[in-house]
Amino acid sequence: MLLPRLRRFARALAADVNDADDLVQIAVERALTRGAQLRPDAPLSSWMFGIVRNAWLDELRARGRRARLFAPEESAEQIGDASQGAHADLLAVQEALARLPEEQRAAVALVLIEGLSYKEAAHIMEVPIGTLTSRLARGREALQEMLGETTGALR
Amino acid sequence: MNFSDETVMAYADGELDPASRAALEAAMATDPQLARRVARQRALRARLRAALEPVLDEPLPERLLASVRGVPARGQAANVVALKRQAAPRWSWPQWGAIAASLVGGVLLGPLLLRAPAGPALVTRDGQVLASGALARALSEQLASHQPPGAPVQIGVSFRARNGDYCRTFVLREQGTLAGLACRGHEAWRLEVLAHNPAPPATAAGYRPAGSALPASVTHTLDELIAGEPLAAGAEAAARTRGWQP
Repeated sequence: MLLPRLRRFARALAADVNDADDLVQIAVERALTRGAQLRPDAPLSSWMFGIVRNAWLDELRARGRRARLFAPEESAEQIGDASQGAHADLLAVQEALARLPEEQRAAVALVLIEGLSYKEAAHIMEVPIGTLTSRLARGREALQEMLGETTGALR
Repeated sequence: MNFSDETVMAYADGELDPASRAALEAAMATDPQLARRVARQRALRARLRAALEPVLDEPLPERLLASVRGVPARGQAANVVALKRQAAPRWSWPQWGAIAASLVGGVLLGPLLLRAPAGPALVTRDGQVLASGALARALSEQLASHQPPGAPVQIGVSFRARNGDYCRTFVLREQGTLAGLACRGHEAWRLEVLAHNPAPPATAAGYRPAGSALPASVTHTLDELIAGEPLAAGAEAAARTRGWQP
């Protein structure tokens, strides 16, 4: 069952629940209408992760356009009253991820969170493995710094 | 011996070749500094995973399920502005079914494959996708070493999985381009993977040896599950006699 993993990947990319589900929905529709081409050499899951990521890149470009056209909007903060501990850590991790450059964030999400191999992640991001590992290394260092050595939440 | 940060990370990610892994593990035993570097990378990995883990257990939003369900009915899921609409889905039903199934598990397969010309090859029960009809019969009866010419299902390899179950790869010839892997439970064949197959398994004139021309996702699943070697013809026949029970 791929949908929950796609949602998790999208959440690592986009943080906001609704934005993340938008990405998954766009990806599902692109996949099912063949708006994107299935690559027969890759597992279906890699193909879907790639479509989610491309949808995210499109969204970032669109946001860039909107930001030039409109005054910046305050993003509505979602305050969940879910169980404190786990939820606080999710927010702290998402906040740290959001500060990474997109390409580092995608590398971290695919390898460290989704547990994909370097080869699969590089394939999805359409970069050589060396590029993937250096993005991953930089993303990791930045996260270590932001999240600290302990499990304390980022505040 | 000095290990670069990238090597330490690759170790934490399980990406080192066996020789480098052994060298690093040997060094770690006597070098607490190196052990700390590894632990630091592992801790980050574990923390990120733990933080995002709850997302997996969230109920799937209805709109996502609807988008999986809605597209072939044409135009029902048009509320996403960013999507460039295609004229119409160009997947065949089985292809669409395979993609949809992998997205949401078995939920949507039943009604879809009921429309397949030869009746359902798959049914869903308790969230699992099970083989049915001609597919189930072929998985239970057909030997890879002895396949009737023109059979709708072509069996690939049979093997024991690490958990002891018997599993078999197959190609649905009738539907042209579907291949998969099923494992035998107590009562039925449970589908582990079903994929679009880029190359037809056999031409009218020729017969391809078992196991060739399977999609990467199927061979990948096979590699993950298999314990030892595929069954030889004798072992396969014996397993059939025992009803594929371990």
